[in-house]
Amino acid sequence: MPIDINEDNLKHGLLGLVIAIVEIIRDALKHQALRRMEGGSLTDEEIERLGRALEEIDTAIYQMKEEQGITETVKSVRDGLDDLVDDVLDRIINPKTREEETKLKEI
Amino acid sequence: MAEGKYIYCIVENSKKVNLGKIGLGGNKVYTIPCQDISAVVHDSPAKPYESEDNEVVKDWVIAHEKVVETAWEKLGTVLPLGFDTIIMADKEKNPEEIVKDWLKEDYQSLKEKLEKVKGKAEYVIQVLWDTKVIFHILIEKDEELKKLSKEMKSKPRGAAYMYKQKLEKLLRGRLEREAERYFKEFYGRIKACTDEIGMEKIKKEEEPRQMLMNVSCLADKKDVKTLGDELDKINNGEGIFVRFTGPWPPYSFV
Repeated sequence: MPIDINEDNLKHGLLGLVIAIVEIIRDALKHQALRRMEGGSLTDEEIERLGRALEEIDTAIYQMKEEQGITETVKSVRDGLDDLVDDVLDRIINPKTREEETKLKEI
Repeated sequence: MAEGKYIYCIVENSKKVNLGKIGLGGNKVYTIPCQDISAVVHDSPAKPYESEDNEVVKDWVIAHEKVVETAWEKLGTVLPLGFDTIIMADKEKNPEEIVKDWLKEDYQSLKEKLEKVKGKAEYVIQVLWDTKVIFHILIEKDEELKKLSKEMKSKPRGAAYMYKQKLEKLLRGRLEREAERYFKEFYGRIKACTDEIGMEKIKKEEEPRQMLMNVSCLADKKDVKTLGDELDKINNGEGIFVRFTGPWPPYSFV
């Protein structure tokens, strides 16, 4: 099947990919911020500042997705990554079922 | 003379029957009997059905299933075969003879398999939940979550945001535990009403719905009311939905 590339869908896909990556970085930041808060190493003022900054990132990402109409694209990139990781983990956790599957296919 | 036979399923029936032009691509579907079992086939070229057009493939698969269902309704117990099972002629024999030989050779094992699914049907059960509703139930039940959600409301904006993240993280953990608990419970209850149960892949749903379990099970058509009653009870749980389809020919159990 030929891949249909034009200026529009290229921009769309690339932007979706970029925002998906930004979202993943944001999630990692959130995770770290939360750990520090729970660990008690942050003052109230620091917590407040962190919270505001993260909230602003959320809002900015949301607006960008809405304006560019890429909410679905970003979701599908992330779902795709999720599935990929799921698959790899499954292979590590359940090596047996995998072996059986390959055997079945060989038959 | 066609050089292959496309096989849809094996039926427990000894008659030579013409089912009409219901096959893939409108081919005539008929039975090739051997003793008291028959293969349901159409005359096909000796090459697999392949297409790059997904719609075409979809139509074929639907036609395949339709034929299996028709055979099941009209002729009795069936063993469905996978899509694109084609037997080809070799130098000495024509495909009809090969089909007959196969039925004869594997008669014992085919009979056993037919016996196993006799009077039974496959049902597919999917249990879903609405995470929003479950969140609310969890917060009500759980002191730690309740406290956190109260604290959150008294904080300034930035800190409230962080508390919200913390609450959501805790909720996700609780939700996972709940999912496991529900799954074990429902699985046990469904298993008790069926002969055999097999896991299917969990599929993604529109948020906030999530699929908790997806199983196919083999049940006696007589027992289906018990199963239905049990599923009604599960469906009555708050935030829980059950999707129940069937009866299907026993695709997953042969």
